[in-house]
Amino acid sequence: MTDDAAFWHRIQFAFTIVYHYLFPQLTMGLAWFLVAWKWLHLRTGEARYGKAAQLWTRIFGITFAVGVVTGIPMEFQFGTNWASFSKYAGGVIGQSLAMEGMFSFFFESAFIGALVFGEKRLGPRSHFLAALGVALGSWLSGYFILVTNAFMQSPRGHALAADGLLRLSSLSDFLLNPWALLEFCHNQCAALVTGSFAVASLGAFYVLRGENGKQGRLFLKWGAAVGLAASMIVAFPTGDAQAKLVARLQPQALAAMEGRFQSGPMAEITLIGQPNVEKRQLDNPIRVPGMLSFLAFGTFHRNVPGLGAFPEDTWPTNIELLYYSFHVMAGLGTLFILLMALANLQQIRGRLESSRRLLWILMLAFPFPFIANTAGWMTAELGRQPWLIYGLFRTRDGYSAAVSSGSTQFTLIGFAGLYFVLGLLYLFLVGREVLRGAGPAMENA
Amino acid sequence: MVELWFAILCLMFTLFVVLAGWDFGAGALHFVAARNQAERRTLMAAIGPLWTWNEVWLVAGGGVLFAAFPRVLSIAFPAYYLALFLVLWTLILRGIALEVRGLIDSGLWRAFWDVMFAAANISLAILFGAAIGNVIRGMPLRPDAPLSLPLFTDFGVHGMLGILDWYTVSVAVFTLVCLCAHGASYLALKAEGEVYRRATLLTKWLWPVTIFLLLVVSVETFYVRPGLFSGMAERPTAWIALVLAAGGLAAVITGPRSGADRRTFLGGCVFIAGLLGSAAASLFPEILYSTVSGEYSITAYNGSSDASSLRAATYWWPVAFVLSFAYFAFVAKHYRGRARTADYGHDPQ
Repeated sequence: MTDDAAFWHRIQFAFTIVYHYLFPQLTMGLAWFLVAWKWLHLRTGEARYGKAAQLWTRIFGITFAVGVVTGIPMEFQFGTNWASFSKYAGGVIGQSLAMEGMFSFFFESAFIGALVFGEKRLGPRSHFLAALGVALGSWLSGYFILVTNAFMQSPRGHALAADGLLRLSSLSDFLLNPWALLEFCHNQCAALVTGSFAVASLGAFYVLRGENGKQGRLFLKWGAAVGLAASMIVAFPTGDAQAKLVARLQPQALAAMEGRFQSGPMAEITLIGQPNVEKRQLDNPIRVPGMLSFLAFGTFHRNVPGLGAFPEDTWPTNIELLYYSFHVMAGLGTLFILLMALANLQQIRGRLESSRRLLWILMLAFPFPFIANTAGWMTAELGRQPWLIYGLFRTRDGYSAAVSSGSTQFTLIGFAGLYFVLGLLYLFLVGREVLRGAGPAMENA
Repeated sequence: MVELWFAILCLMFTLFVVLAGWDFGAGALHFVAARNQAERRTLMAAIGPLWTWNEVWLVAGGGVLFAAFPRVLSIAFPAYYLALFLVLWTLILRGIALEVRGLIDSGLWRAFWDVMFAAANISLAILFGAAIGNVIRGMPLRPDAPLSLPLFTDFGVHGMLGILDWYTVSVAVFTLVCLCAHGASYLALKAEGEVYRRATLLTKWLWPVTIFLLLVVSVETFYVRPGLFSGMAERPTAWIALVLAAGGLAAVITGPRSGADRRTFLGGCVFIAGLLGSAAASLFPEILYSTVSGEYSITAYNGSSDASSLRAATYWWPVAFVLSFAYFAFVAKHYRGRARTADYGHDPQ
């Protein structure tokens, strides 16, 4: 029954982190819109920027609050649910988690309250600085989390101490892990995609409703422009470089992401297909030959090893889910570029506001970056399996032996219930701000 | 190095109790110090925009515990699994109540979140108090089996231990009353009108009750963990902390009588910090005290991470510490003086 406990610990961590990250990805994306609009308002004095910042600050504030309260359990669950791992690696990953608290949480938390409720108290200049503080603090926070994750993906800067536990041998190697730097660029651009899709979506909603069209047009323009730039950078160069890193450092993960069991040169990239782990093959595939070799190593003829080239106990433990996650992420990422390119094209031609069908698509597209971000993280984390720290420490050795699987099920159900209510509350409050933003009060204010 | 990190950890948790303590205390008095919704808005405005900053000392303290004493974390957190999740869930409720209460101009909406907010603050003060009680009392640590404590057993402090027993419950009650007194001092400093008037009245009798309960808890502690007092006798650091606590005590008794709000408030801060400081200095190096046998205890020495990890953290921690106060000062200077109701919420209410 010990495996059983490990399973519930994993599900609980996965559920709480996926749910939590729905909120920070939006706030990290929106933060720079707020900074830009508040800056323009300060410089030009144009009311439309001030109003845009005000409306989005309210949505930002609610999102940030849910992000904060769902974030606190994450840090504590390292101790409660993953005690063996915490004991083994605390001397290293404790550093980045403590740094996140000390450097970023104080930074963000000092300014968030003043940003949400304190415009009058602070005055325009300090209020702008508060927005900047929250933006910088939240991105810094993202970096420390990604340093932690990068250590689990590709450990750097550590050594084994005499007592068999990890210790930090080089703080700079640990903090400047190439995996972390790349993952940061990729992930933060993906957060910008989420933010800009939300902005464009609200713009499309206002224009389609014929209310608050002036703000709507501003949102559409900015959302589409930032959305295109960010979704392109997510794919190239950051996504591309990330894939090359996976090919080099986690070849089993790459093979599983592509459902590739046999090795060989001119490796194909899979567009569609279902991995069949039992038969060690990909069912009903549609493939482009040579592309995987090219994307992973820069030449078409390079051999890309399949899973068969590795011992089975180093294969990712859930190949199907990993494969689907990766394909959902990559597929959606491609669609985002196409959609935003089309939106910008119409914008340049001055036809975006009259393209009702495109506006409908933009309005309804905002959930998909959340899905793509989640799928991307599932790719990263499932690809890391069966390791908790790649090559060093296995996931099944990491959980808290003192906590029964029943206790974990209890807390998991508790989280599910609490987070369901929290989600309803969030949607209700944000929906209310969206409708208030469309109202005559905002139009004339 | 280990001594330094033990001190840093204690400093951070002490800052949490003092800083977030006035928010928790004021929140626990939500229905006592503020009698209608307008007054409750004043109370929340007084808690102010920096409550998250205050609460971060807990999260950052947890991070430092993780980095510096991973063994402590890996034993204590699973042992108190369900209790910790109660704390986490209550923290979620409290934060949400505080953030959304002012968003909608409806009496029912506000009434609901007012109850949630007060209940969450009272529960958290009790839970944190029980946690302090558990650290002092100790836990049945043995090397051969992972530690896991039931919520309660027979409420005795010997034999089969639970998280709650007569000792930890009395520490919890003391903590609740002490934080309420501290919160009242804070409201007396920051609030206006009726809330201010009631808060000054509350400080007049809540602080004496706190001191009476402190005497009771001290006698109990002498019975439950005599080692605390023998440690205290031989540690000069503990004496200094005790002198500070005594000074704070004098201020919280005399302050309310002479209407010196600032003296009462600062006295309360020093009193709490002094108490925690003297307890920490007396118990050092034991962090997780084993009631089974002293040799099974997890101390700062056998619970810390490697010296190289601690050394690395010694470089960045002071920088972050100074920066955190710089951000605080930048925002706090805009909120000097008494809180205005307009500081909290969007709607007229």
